[in-house]
Amino acid sequence: SSHEHKLNFKKSKEACLSYIQDAMLQKQWRRAAEFLTFYVEALEKDYSREAIGPSEMIWRIGTEILCHHSRSSMKEFNCFMEQMKTLGVKRYLKVCLEHVFHLLCNGQIDEAYQNLSLAESWRFGEQTAIQDKEMKLIQAYRGLLDYYSWSKQKNILLEHGPDGFADLSVEQEMHSCFRKAAVNLKEIIKVPGVWDLFVKCYVDLLEFYGDHNEACQVLNEYAYNSKFPANPNAHVYLYQFLKRQGESKKSLISALKILHDIVPSHELMIDFNTMLQKSKKRKKRRLGLEVIFAVLDYAGWKENVKAWSCLARQVKQIVISEKHLDWIKQEWNSRKDWWPAFHFSRYLAKKNWQENKSLSYEKALVAGILLGKDCKYFKYVSHQGCKAQVKRFRVLKKFVNRHNPVYLRISG
Amino acid sequence: MEFPAALFPSYFGAGPPREEGGPALAAGWGEHGRVLEGSPGRRQQAQPAFVPLRGGTGETWDPSEAAAVPVLPPSAGRWIPSPAPQDILYRNSVCRKLRAGRPGATLDFSKQLGHFFEDHPEDAFGSMGQLLHKNFYLGNSKLKRPARSSTIRMTALMKDIDRLEARRGCHRQHLASRLRWFSHLCRDWLFEVPLGVLADCLHEELLLQWSDLLFDDSLTGGALAWLPPSDTGSRTGRLVYPGGQAMNHLFFQDIVLEELPRARGSPAQFELSGRIRQVAAARVDGEDFVGVRSDYHCGVWRVPGRTRTAPAPLQVIRTDVPASCLTVSPHLPGELAVCTRSGTVYLWSIETGLQQLRHDPQTMFFRDHSPWRWSDFTAHPRVLSCADRTGLQCLDARAPKKCHFDLFKVGEEAGCQQGERVVLPMYLGRAHPSQYLVTTQFSMYVLDERLPLVPVLKWAHMMKAPPLFAHLMPGDPGRTHKVLLGTSRTQELLLLQYQGGSQSACQLAGAPQKLHSIAGCLQHLPTQLPHHHHLLQQRLGAPAAGLAAMLQQDGTCETMLVFQLSEAGDVFCQRLTHEAAHPPAPTSRDEATTAPDSSPLFKAPASSPLGLGTAALRYHRWLRALFRCCREPCKHSLPPSLSQRRLFTRKDLEGPMGPTALQRQVRQWLRQVMQEGGHIQRWEPMALQPPALPQPPEPEGGPDLLSTRLTAAWSGDWEQWWEDRTSFSISQRQRALRERRRRQKRARGRRSLSASFTSSLTYQSELSELSDGGPQLLSPDRPHVLSQEGSPPASSLLPGSPPASPAPDEALLSSQSLQCRGIPKERRKTLRDYLSVWAEAPPEPPELPGSQASQLCIPSSQSQLSSASQTRRKRPRMGF
Repeated sequence: SSHEHKLNFKKSKEACLSYIQDAMLQKQWRRAAEFLTFYVEALEKDYSREAIGPSEMIWRIGTEILCHHSRSSMKEFNCFMEQMKTLGVKRYLKVCLEHVFHLLCNGQIDEAYQNLSLAESWRFGEQTAIQDKEMKLIQAYRGLLDYYSWSKQKNILLEHGPDGFADLSVEQEMHSCFRKAAVNLKEIIKVPGVWDLFVKCYVDLLEFYGDHNEACQVLNEYAYNSKFPANPNAHVYLYQFLKRQGESKKSLISALKILHDIVPSHELMIDFNTMLQKSKKRKKRRLGLEVIFAVLDYAGWKENVKAWSCLARQVKQIVISEKHLDWIKQEWNSRKDWWPAFHFSRYLAKKNWQENKSLSYEKALVAGILLGKDCKYFKYVSHQGCKAQVKRFRVLKKFVNRHNPVYLRISG
Repeated sequence: MEFPAALFPSYFGAGPPREEGGPALAAGWGEHGRVLEGSPGRRQQAQPAFVPLRGGTGETWDPSEAAAVPVLPPSAGRWIPSPAPQDILYRNSVCRKLRAGRPGATLDFSKQLGHFFEDHPEDAFGSMGQLLHKNFYLGNSKLKRPARSSTIRMTALMKDIDRLEARRGCHRQHLASRLRWFSHLCRDWLFEVPLGVLADCLHEELLLQWSDLLFDDSLTGGALAWLPPSDTGSRTGRLVYPGGQAMNHLFFQDIVLEELPRARGSPAQFELSGRIRQVAAARVDGEDFVGVRSDYHCGVWRVPGRTRTAPAPLQVIRTDVPASCLTVSPHLPGELAVCTRSGTVYLWSIETGLQQLRHDPQTMFFRDHSPWRWSDFTAHPRVLSCADRTGLQCLDARAPKKCHFDLFKVGEEAGCQQGERVVLPMYLGRAHPSQYLVTTQFSMYVLDERLPLVPVLKWAHMMKAPPLFAHLMPGDPGRTHKVLLGTSRTQELLLLQYQGGSQSACQLAGAPQKLHSIAGCLQHLPTQLPHHHHLLQQRLGAPAAGLAAMLQQDGTCETMLVFQLSEAGDVFCQRLTHEAAHPPAPTSRDEATTAPDSSPLFKAPASSPLGLGTAALRYHRWLRALFRCCREPCKHSLPPSLSQRRLFTRKDLEGPMGPTALQRQVRQWLRQVMQEGGHIQRWEPMALQPPALPQPPEPEGGPDLLSTRLTAAWSGDWEQWWEDRTSFSISQRQRALRERRRRQKRARGRRSLSASFTSSLTYQSELSELSDGGPQLLSPDRPHVLSQEGSPPASSLLPGSPPASPAPDEALLSSQSLQCRGIPKERRKTLRDYLSVWAEAPPEPPELPGSQASQLCIPSSQSQLSSASQTRRKRPRMGF
């Protein structure tokens, strides 16, 4: 009966698919390709109502095989993609986008641009939400490519010098590229998302044409709009922009303060700390200490000499001046139950000494002040340092011994 | 800790997942996802170079064997498989047709209830059975007049039950009126436990078992851990895994890394009080901390870095609710995270004890019924992640109520599908301090703590079951990180590679690769006997229970070792080699791997001088050991029960010493004679005469038992013969039993024996050993007696062969012989009674003695109602 026939057909289709899957997962691309030629038959009687129908399967599997198959060529790939575009209306934009990505990854920028323009001009009834998103992405990537050709022409012009009579056409083309790029890039960065690349390019364009207000607004929106994800890069771009603009220390610090609140382990925190340490205001220096302590809480900074030397410098300053010991005490309070095991164990003393002498120097200084001269880390490193007759370790030992009462005040 | 200067573009929306759909086979293929400019610094010179989010080039790892190879010998003791769907589902062809339209599975409730009654008759009907046993008659013959008024003949009822079984699913059940009448009559008072309560409990348990069968999340995380060599030069690591019949023994086994890893020495072993669900390990300050989770207990061991130092147990905690997660801190020694199914998350420190971080029986982001919780560590040693099926949150242990942020949500934020749930989160700190892996049943996500809620990588993994196990092998700078995902029931293993996270954005590298599953080796093994094949199939198809892996650099050659643990306690290993030096001629490699059916495992590789590869030798050894250790318990494969007590210990029944010189000599003769195919007629130990010509068997007065049975079997009415025999012997046995009970009563009056002997599960096995061992005691002139009895002496004397006739010798029963076996005086009589009962029993067909005789006196869970029912029901009468 026809029902049974349908059932059998479905079964053999599934079996074929699982063979293909198996072959692909074992990187047997040729075998998978052979099976795929059989699977194409599934298109003829497509009764399925699954999320991914046979035509999408064929597109996905075929693309993957062509990406890995030893004998596939770009020409074949393009040909396959063109066929796939006609296979489903709903998927047209997605297939176009993927095709463009493949072209871009293979360095065929011009072909990619053509494809993007084609896809952009495609119209078919009403668009779904997903198609709308895809269309926006297509436009954005086209804007990106426009931006690249703009910057290429900009470089040509800059090479010829400002007073050279570089031909007008280049300049005109550059401006038209700017307009095309700006329109498309501006569109996508309004939508919540992660648009690092697009934002950077758009800001670059605006800055070149001197529209700093717009650039500042775009960056502020990207960083502070609550509908956008908490992207550290947004704050980094804003900070970098402010720095380029020669903004005041205060605004730089406030930008970094927010980054510190979101990502205390960000690498800019070292700059932030140095900036704060130099400040005359007590409050800022206090914040600096907080920042550097917070950085060293994270496993990724554990063996970073720069961070440790920042902390060692500031702690040393405080100890010598004997003012604000309570800052250290406060910071230390929430850490004294786990920093000794996390940073200052005997095992780490040995390891740091063997691998990085200057790291162990900075850490020993901090350990000596925070945990006293009897701390395992300090004892081991200063002993090894004195044995190896390195001068600075002897100085370190003296310094810590002299300031041992500080430890009692901090821990008390 | 750099953050990538630019991330791949993505949309960000909030709210519930919008995308519909479910598992799709090809969902992970063919997409680049997005592209990003690779190295923006060098754009000036040339065109921008783009890199894809997915589909970049990865490293090539080729499996070096055709299948996974066993690392350890099969665990001793029979493995009890966990229930399969067919065990608890209602299955009946009639029924299936009737219910074809209806979705869902039907649990076979009545069968399970029946099992309970059969397995625990004492608990189910103990007192009523004792009260009523006089009124239930189990024989076949008609009841006589005076007895008939107060006794029911149960055989008819049994027949009705059998018939009912055959008619299951039939609408017209009025045919079983007698059964209905009986059940109506005694439903309310027959059962020890009220039937309603019992049924409720059973139903609950059945539902639980079924949901475990569909998805058992207690195994999440896996129970296999690899402790790498402590220093780079060493080649000895440790494998930590559970074993034993109940998986309640923890083993620490030294493994030497050679071409194939090899166990060295015997493992350190700890017996725990529950089935081990998870083994987690982390190395802090050169020492390994191993956390072990069972349902109600969690423990932690410390394994010092130096080799050959014993692991030391540190602390154990007990939970009231089953624990669902145990992870070990990679930052601080002796810190662990524990979650229980009541929704509580603890930070467990060896020094300071437990600190409760959160208690919330509700799920975090939307309502989900699952009580499963998970917790792991993050880049900050005081910040713990905490997960349920709906997502992940990070909490600061110093202020858990105030300081927390959402790391992952099942929703539009991560582009999830409807119905997607978190299956396994894992901290990827060894690859990048702020990276996190989250797997769901559809996809795998890589998250960066610094950019919460937005996955930096997402890929549909297309696995058939949710990945419960994951393992990370961090790559050096410039290399890819490798992640292994593993499933339990389907044993799938998938190798993924990704890179980036600090200088460049995260990218999936290369195509995913399927690794060998344990069951996959079956097709490469040499042909087995059918029952061995079945055994292997069952054993190798056991769900996976853990996963561990390591990378190993050996000069220029780089290998990856992947260990996989099965629920049967087997550890298998596969090796992959990295192809870096010589980019392969693509076609040749393609060809080489094209034929999946080739089995190079058992073909002699040209390079090996031994003829067979190491892997094949491993397999031979493993198979041999498996069949050896499975053969022993199979002979009397009675499932152990709680009432198992021994009448006589094995030691009691052992002969005073090993075989004497004489016995050895006799055995040697036997073997020799058997090889020659001759006969032994007389046992003349000192002078072995050449065997005389065989004489034709003399016709005796009446045909002996064996001949009549064989004749009956030939003519086809063996069954009839058997029925006659049993009905005859039943009355005979009953007489003997009654006699014995009388004697017993008298004995009980004199001294209390009840404490020293009870019914024994191993009775039959001891007995067969006894008759096996019987000939060992023979004095040189005993064989005459045996051969006179007409049973072929050769077979009865063969060591290990089943006894042809269980008739015990009088010599065995003599006080001296019992005494010399160390059997206490008061037990000797009991033994004699037993054996005398046995002596009267007819010789049984060789297949039957084991099962039938054991059911005679042992409550067993085997549901062979047909042949054994009569003897079975009699058990209360025997009254041990």
